[in-house]
Amino acid sequence: MAGAAGAPQQQQQQQQQQQRVACQVFPERRAQGGSGQGLLSSVFSNDQGCQRLLLKTLETNPYVKLLLDAMKHSGCAVNKERHFSCEDCNGNVSGGFDASTSQIVLCQNNIRNQAHMNRVVTHELVHAFDHCRAHVNWFTDVRHLACSEVRAANLSGDCSLVNEIFRLHFGLKRHHQTCVRDRAILSILAVRNISKEVAQKAVDEVFESCFNDQEPFGRIPHNKTYARYAHRDFQNRDRYYSNI
Amino acid sequence: MADAGGWRPPRPCEAYRAEWTLCRSAGHLLHHYYVHGERPACEQWRRDLASCREWEERRSAEAQRSLCESERARVQATQKHALVWTLRQSPPADWHLPLPQEEKDQ
Repeated sequence: MAGAAGAPQQQQQQQQQQQRVACQVFPERRAQGGSGQGLLSSVFSNDQGCQRLLLKTLETNPYVKLLLDAMKHSGCAVNKERHFSCEDCNGNVSGGFDASTSQIVLCQNNIRNQAHMNRVVTHELVHAFDHCRAHVNWFTDVRHLACSEVRAANLSGDCSLVNEIFRLHFGLKRHHQTCVRDRAILSILAVRNISKEVAQKAVDEVFESCFNDQEPFGRIPHNKTYARYAHRDFQNRDRYYSNI
Repeated sequence: MADAGGWRPPRPCEAYRAEWTLCRSAGHLLHHYYVHGERPACEQWRRDLASCREWEERRSAEAQRSLCESERARVQATQKHALVWTLRQSPPADWHLPLPQEEKDQ
């Protein structure tokens, strides 16, 4: 992040600033001192709906099943109760990955349906996968954050042709890359108090490398068929690497 | 590359056929153009399928060589760019630890 390499005091101030921005995204989370919800609010909340959609995603979605498999292989087996939390969020954020607690937050008030849940879980699991396999400086290096956001936008289906059309973003030739850049910048701005120019510069610097890093899929999964083929390849990797 | 005695194609031949079929589909043409702005190249999958079948039928050394070369080129293509971050040797130490809230409850 710009200026993060300065004096320790400056760095501490910036870290506090970053944590404050995170608070703005999930204020209820911090106010309650964690992921739990009050008894009364859970009676009237969308928690059960969120949990139901989440369970179906974890059990049936091929994108998610590959990511869970890959994470288990990397030593980060995912436990639904420990690593996922359904909460109410401010704004129209759909979810987030909290690296400080190794938890994926799902914004139950903003997740509309099963397809949306599939996509949000895939997106956040890409972040979790990156956290598991690499030293990602989430809070001190905006290039690292940018890289994970490029990958998540690229691999989760966020930027499918259909989703872009629904957003009234019409474009065909190489439009996927434009979408990935734009959504990565938006995601960065949602969690960091930095200027659009700084976010854009970070995305530009890392784009070539991170757009082409398609682990664990090995390809851009345009739909469930691609995701199933990618999972098949992942399960076959021992045979593959021992025979080339 | 493994010894000739224990070698087999890196993927089952059905996988090469499935990839070639997917590559030539109208859907893939659309997806590829949407991402890269050009038509996909599917010929290598066809060659790999032919090599795989030839090895299955005749244990052809040329087919083995051709398949290995093709798959190594695919792997190298994914390793062209330097990573932005350093890979871990082991997973994060706190991944499985209970949440701070749970610790307080205990």
